[in-house]
Order: sequence, then structure tokens, then C-alpha cells
Amino acid sequence: MASSKKLISREEWEKRLNNVKIRKEDMNKLVMNFLVTEGNVEAAKKFRMESGTHPDIDLATITDRMAVKKAAQCGNVKDAIEKINDLNPEILDTNPQLFFQLQQQRLIELIRNGKVEEALEFAQEELAPRAEENQSFLEELERTISLVAFEDTSNCPVGELLDISQRLKTASEVNAAVLTSQSNEKDPKLPSLLKMLIWAQNKLDKKAAYPCINDLSNARLEDPTF
Amino acid sequence: MPSATVNKPRPSELLSRLTSAEPEVKVRALREVKNQIIGNRTKKLSFLKLGAVPAVAGILADSIDDVTENNNCNNTNNFLVQSAAALGSFACGFDAGVQAVLDAGAFPNLLRLLANPNEKVVDAVARALRMIYQSKLAPKYDFLQQKNMEFLISLLNSEKETVSGLGASIITRSCETNLEQKALFDAGILRKLNSLLEGGSLSQRDASLESLATVFRNNPEVISKFAGPEIGRPLSSIIDLAKDRYPRTRLLACMCLIVIRNASPHFLQDIGIKTKLIHILLELLDDPGQVGDEAPFAFSSLIAQKEDLQKLALEANAIDKFHHHIKKGSLHPRRYEGILLALADMCSKLESCRSKFLSLQVLNLVADALTDYNAGVRAAACICLKSVTRSIKNLSAGYFMNETIVIPLVQLFLDPSTSVQVAALGATSNIVVDFTTRKSIFVQCGGMKQLVQLAKSMESSVRSNALWALKNFVFQADNRLKEGVFSELTASLLSSLIRDPEPSVQEQALALVRNLVDGCINLIEFVFAEDGLILGAIGRQLQCASKAEIGIQGMYALCNVASGNEFHREAVMQLLFTQMGDKNQSFVVKFLQSNDSQLRTATVWTIVNLTCPSSPGAPCRLEKLRNAGIVSQIKNMVNDPCVDVKLRVRTVLGQSMAFGDN
Repeated sequence: MASSKKLISREEWEKRLNNVKIRKEDMNKLVMNFLVTEGNVEAAKKFRMESGTHPDIDLATITDRMAVKKAAQCGNVKDAIEKINDLNPEILDTNPQLFFQLQQQRLIELIRNGKVEEALEFAQEELAPRAEENQSFLEELERTISLVAFEDTSNCPVGELLDISQRLKTASEVNAAVLTSQSNEKDPKLPSLLKMLIWAQNKLDKKAAYPCINDLSNARLEDPTF
Repeated sequence: MPSATVNKPRPSELLSRLTSAEPEVKVRALREVKNQIIGNRTKKLSFLKLGAVPAVAGILADSIDDVTENNNCNNTNNFLVQSAAALGSFACGFDAGVQAVLDAGAFPNLLRLLANPNEKVVDAVARALRMIYQSKLAPKYDFLQQKNMEFLISLLNSEKETVSGLGASIITRSCETNLEQKALFDAGILRKLNSLLEGGSLSQRDASLESLATVFRNNPEVISKFAGPEIGRPLSSIIDLAKDRYPRTRLLACMCLIVIRNASPHFLQDIGIKTKLIHILLELLDDPGQVGDEAPFAFSSLIAQKEDLQKLALEANAIDKFHHHIKKGSLHPRRYEGILLALADMCSKLESCRSKFLSLQVLNLVADALTDYNAGVRAAACICLKSVTRSIKNLSAGYFMNETIVIPLVQLFLDPSTSVQVAALGATSNIVVDFTTRKSIFVQCGGMKQLVQLAKSMESSVRSNALWALKNFVFQADNRLKEGVFSELTASLLSSLIRDPEPSVQEQALALVRNLVDGCINLIEFVFAEDGLILGAIGRQLQCASKAEIGIQGMYALCNVASGNEFHREAVMQLLFTQMGDKNQSFVVKFLQSNDSQLRTATVWTIVNLTCPSSPGAPCRLEKLRNAGIVSQIKNMVNDPCVDVKLRVRTVLGQSMAFGDN
């Protein structure tokens, strides 16, 4: 039975691709946007120098934001909090979820360093009042405190809280909050473009056989097959 | 090495460092206070109590003086930024903090600092001011003064987001009257806000939407001028924002559109926009944060009192969606309250909505909410019940008079919050109109006794609503029940309630008497108890009735008394003719001449009963009425515009002719 799909050869496909004009400036902007959103300040500066592309946001604000993110990634939560408050005191004042998450991370770091008494005191003074107002905060607090009860934290049910990934999660939330407060998009454009590509290919798959990109990292065209 | 140590000085120690002579110590203490209070309401309160706000405000004031004297710039700016940020944080979402900041005299200083050359200072100050303006306690901004309007315009024109945001929040907080709205329009503010809407950043768009809604509220003139000659265009930018990727923007855009809809019959009335708004708001319920908490309130403002929208919402499965969310449990109290009120609005008029509600078994969930720890939720649950219990079909089937509902409801009669009490009474008033024989359940769980207690409350709204519930309770109830109510109330309490200082209480008390004496002749004896206390009270109250409703209930009460025996009828006659002071006209004539058709009807009915041909004393009473000019007054009403009045007038005249009227 003959396929109802149209076959497009590589030659024809490449010819069609060549007819589509993409401006260099647009690609530069995408690259800049990616560097800036991820916080790669030095790379962004160099890229600006070499390509003449202007970033959408002030690079100085990136430095501030990156300092916050780095402090959070290293577990210096008190430092991260102070830096955010210097940047924009409204962020933590109007975002109880984020504030709680940061305080929770502080608690985790205290427990990680074996400072149990200090941890319990901190939990009682800083976290308990927040938990009174909010059921989900209470549950999180209980989970975190339970870390203290376990001798072997690598095997306990809430052990993932001690994982580095928890710190990274907190750091990324903080980064997003700062970006949003600066009225910037918290997500870079590049991933959306790639998602659009995959979606378009899936759609086209139903109608045609054509050279498609299966490996996003090298974007190589693979020959069409039936 | 990660350090997460928590050693910090005690609050009182920190505060004393705020007054240190050494700038280094002072600024570090200031920053520490700021960092401790941000995000932490408990700390804000404890620092407040220690007097931190005046101390920080003092630092701000001193630093301004330093600026004027051009002292050490960097240091001064640092002090300004930190103190402004601390003050802003005290004021953030915390009314006591706002009050403290205002009391400390920091407000004028903050305003002055908006002109400071340093960007960071201006940002911190603008934020602090915006926090103040988000509170109801903010000083009122007088838009009608030219100077103030110019200042506002300069704020909105600023390049800095924090400053233009402040301008918008001043409008949102302070613009109240139509006059102010017009002044803002005339000054071109709306055009400025619209440009922020189309070309501004996320926070500028959101702030703009809120301000526009404030200027549009209840002002169809400003709305039509705004939508103006380029019809559809400005409105279409708001409509587009209702589909924005950010949930908060979608919510604010919907709220703005709803304000426009509700104020002006010309805009946004097509079914497309109505359906869109309903769907967007229902979808916003899925947002886990504050946006999802506020969405049901916006939904209520869209559909309240509007049957067409309630129908559309029903078709969009709104009740199912609300049910789904309540079922999930552990809701934020604000969200819980909002959803219950939205359900109340949905079921307020349409039986189809109530049927859907009951079929989904939402009633049990609402009954649970009656015992919630949050007062707003409890009140909302009662209001929801009140709407649902308007279903006559289900009332008749005795659906609501059961322990799951009645017991928690009666417990709310003793609730510490007055608004909960009143809401519970409202729901009870419907439920007790039970047409089955199950009213005794209400007595058994102590409800009736509680109602009588509440009739003695210090709050007039509680008294009148308790009487309302009692009135409904005794409506067509059996004698035993009525006697039970009366003996619990006592004649002296009821008569004093008839003479209550509040008209609404008087009205309900009279209506209660009306229902009590209706039906069985034995019950009429109530009004004669204790030397005719109640009858006397009715008479005195009718003499000085302040509104028609009081007259109506009082006359119907007398009408029911006059349906008894001769003794009863004579007593009523005596009442009608008691003079007070130098009034030589009986209130009867006044009532017959009233503009209110119900009052005329009630009065004529009473005359009908008094002149009933089968009673021996009728001719005598008729003579008296004739002499008082009442019969001729009634003759003038033969062509009364109200059918009920006309028919009863004919009855009276027919009866009078039976005794040979000339």
C-alpha cells in the first residue's frame, strides 16, 4: 500500500532551507538573552564587545542577581537574604512562599552542620510563626525537623532535603523571583524555540517524510525514512 | 564554607544601637533590623512594640538634614536607603506598621525624598510610599487641587517603574468620587495609564489595570469618554490582557472589564465576552497563590444579581469546579470564603443552580465550613446556605431541617463575631419555613431558645434578624409550637421589642406578632396577656410609625386580632381611636391615604374584619367609623389603582350597605 505521506529529499529540503533568511542580529539577540537570563555575566560582556549586541537588561543588575544566586547555591542563606533585601526589599516581603523556602534552607544547613540546638531554636523562633498561618508550611516544617531524628540521613525518607539539589532548587527559585521583580522574563527564549521545533516536526511527521533534526545538541539533518 | 549561623543581638540591643554615635554601628544595626523584619510579621510586631519605627523615622529625618548640608554623600545615601526600606517593610501589608510610620511623621519626609538625585534612594522611598498607599490608612490624596494633580502627573511620567507605580497606587487608593474620577480624566491621566498598559513593563501594566478600574468604577460617563471616538480600541487592549500569560495580569484585566460592565450598559454586553470572562476566572482558580484566592471574588462581582450570567456560568460547569476545589481541602481561608460566596451568588436566584448544587452533595461540605476556625469562612458558609435554602421545593420536602445543618447553625448563634451571628440568622430564617412537621427538631436542639436570647442582643442587626427567624419559625406552625415561643419570649419582652429604638426591629417584632396570632382564636389571647401589654405597644407604635413597613405589619397584626371574637374586635376599635396629644386624626386615615399600596390594603382588611356583618357589634363600630370620616375616606378609594385595595374597599362598602348606609 502506497504511503500517503509526501517524500522530501535532502537536496530539496536543503534548497528550501537556504531560501529562508535568518538575520544574524536575531540570532545574536537569542544568544545574549540566554547568557543574560542564565546569569553568565562575563560571557555576556565579552559577547557584547565582540558582536556589538546590546543586552535587554542592564548587566549590572545581572551581577547583583548572580551574587544572590551564588550565595544560595553555596548554602549561605543569610547572606543571600541580605543581598536580595538590598536589591529589592519587596521581593521577600510579598512572597511568603519564597521566604519560607529560604528560611527552611537555613534550617537545613544548620542541621547539616550538626548544630542541632541552634536549629531547633531557629525553627521555633523563625519558622513556627509562619507555619501557624499556613497548613502547607507546617507540613514542610515538620518534614524538615524530622531530619534531626535520623542518625543516618542518607537512608531517611526526607533525606532529599539534605541533597545539593534542594539548594539548587532554592537558588533557582530565588533567581526567578529576582528576574520577575525586575520585570524581566524569567525563562530564556532559546528553549522555547527548540520546543517549537520539536512540535512542528511532530506535526509534519504526520504528513511528510523529510530530513529531520533528532539530536538538538548538534542539529544534524538525518535522511528521511519511510 | 557554608555559614548559616543564627547568632544575632536581641531586639532591644539592636534598638539601642540605632541611636549610637558611631555611624558604622548605627547603619549596621539599621540594616539588621530591616533584614529581620522583611517577610516576618511577628518580628515587625515585636520591633514595633519596642518603638523601632520612631527611631528609624528619626534616622531618616536626620539624614535629610545631612543631605541639605551636603555632608558625606555616600554614607548619607546609605542611611536614607536603609531607613526608607525599613519603614517600607514595616508598612508592607501591616496596618499597625502603616499607622506607626504615619504617626512618626515620616510621610512628608518620604515625599520630599522623591526628588533626591540618587536613584537607589528614590527607589527605596517610592517603594515605601507605595506600601503605605496600599493600606486603607494612607492619607487621602486630594486630586482636586491643581498642585497635587501636577505632582501625580509627574510621578506617572517618570522613567522609573517604582515611581510611576507609586502614582498608580495613589490613584487606586484615593480616587473615590465621581468628581475625582472626572478630574483625573480631564487631566489626561487615563491616556497616560493606557500608554503604560500598552507599552509598559509587567508591573506597570498591572498597576495601570488597577488604577483604571478605580477611575471607571460606577462612572459610565468616564468610561464612554475613554472608549471614546476610537471605539473598541482602548477596551481591546484591556480585553487582550485578559488572555495574558501572567495570571495576575489576567485577573486584574478581568476585574477591570467587570467594573466597566457593571457601570455601563453599553459596553461588553455580548455573550462572547461574558462567556470568556467566566471561563478565564474559573481557570484562574487553578492558580495556587493569591491570584487563585482572589479569583472567586471577581467571579462574584461578575455574576451577582445577574441571572443571565448565572445561567451561563452554570452551563460552564462553575458549580462543579467550585465543588472540586472545596473537596480538595486545606484551602487558604480567603479562597475558601471566596468560593463559598461565589456559590451563594450562583444559587441566589436560579432553582436550576440550587438543584445542581444539591445534586453534587456540596451541602455537606458547606455544613463542614460552619465549624471552620476562620470567621469569614463561617459567615460565608451561612450566606451560602441562605441562598440554597431559598429552594421552596426542597424546603417543602424538609430537606434542610436535619441535625447535620441545624446543630452547627444554632451553635453559630453564640459566635463571637456579629457578622457570623447575623449570617447564621439569615440562613435560619429560611430553614425554619419548613412546611413539614419537622420544626420541632429546631426546638429540640435549643434553637428556639437561642433565638429568643438573641432578640435581647445589644446589636440591633442581631435583634432584628433573630426576630425575623422567629417570625418565619412560627409561620403556619402548630399551636403548641407557637405557645412555646410565646412563653419563652414573654409579653413584656415582645412589647418592648415592638417599642425598640430601631425601626427594623419594630417591624420584625410586629410581623412576629402577626404570625403568632394568625390562625387560631386562642392565640389571639397573647396580645392581651399582662394587661394588654402587646396590644398597647402596637397601638403606640402605630401612632408614630416611622416607615410604611411598620404600619403594614402592625395593621396586619390588628387585622388578625380582629378576626377573633367581639371582645377582640372592640379592643381593636378602642386602639384605633386612642388620641395622642393634639392629633385629632386617627392614624387609620393617614394609612388609608398612604402612597404604599400594601399599607392601604392592610388597613382596609382590618376594617373589613371590624365590620363583618355576622358580628353583633358591627353596626355600632360602623357608626363610629363613619363619624370619624373613615367610611367616606374608603368611599373615595373605590377606584384605587391597586387591585387588592379595590376589592377590599368594595367588601367594606358592601358590608356597610347591609346596615343601611346612606
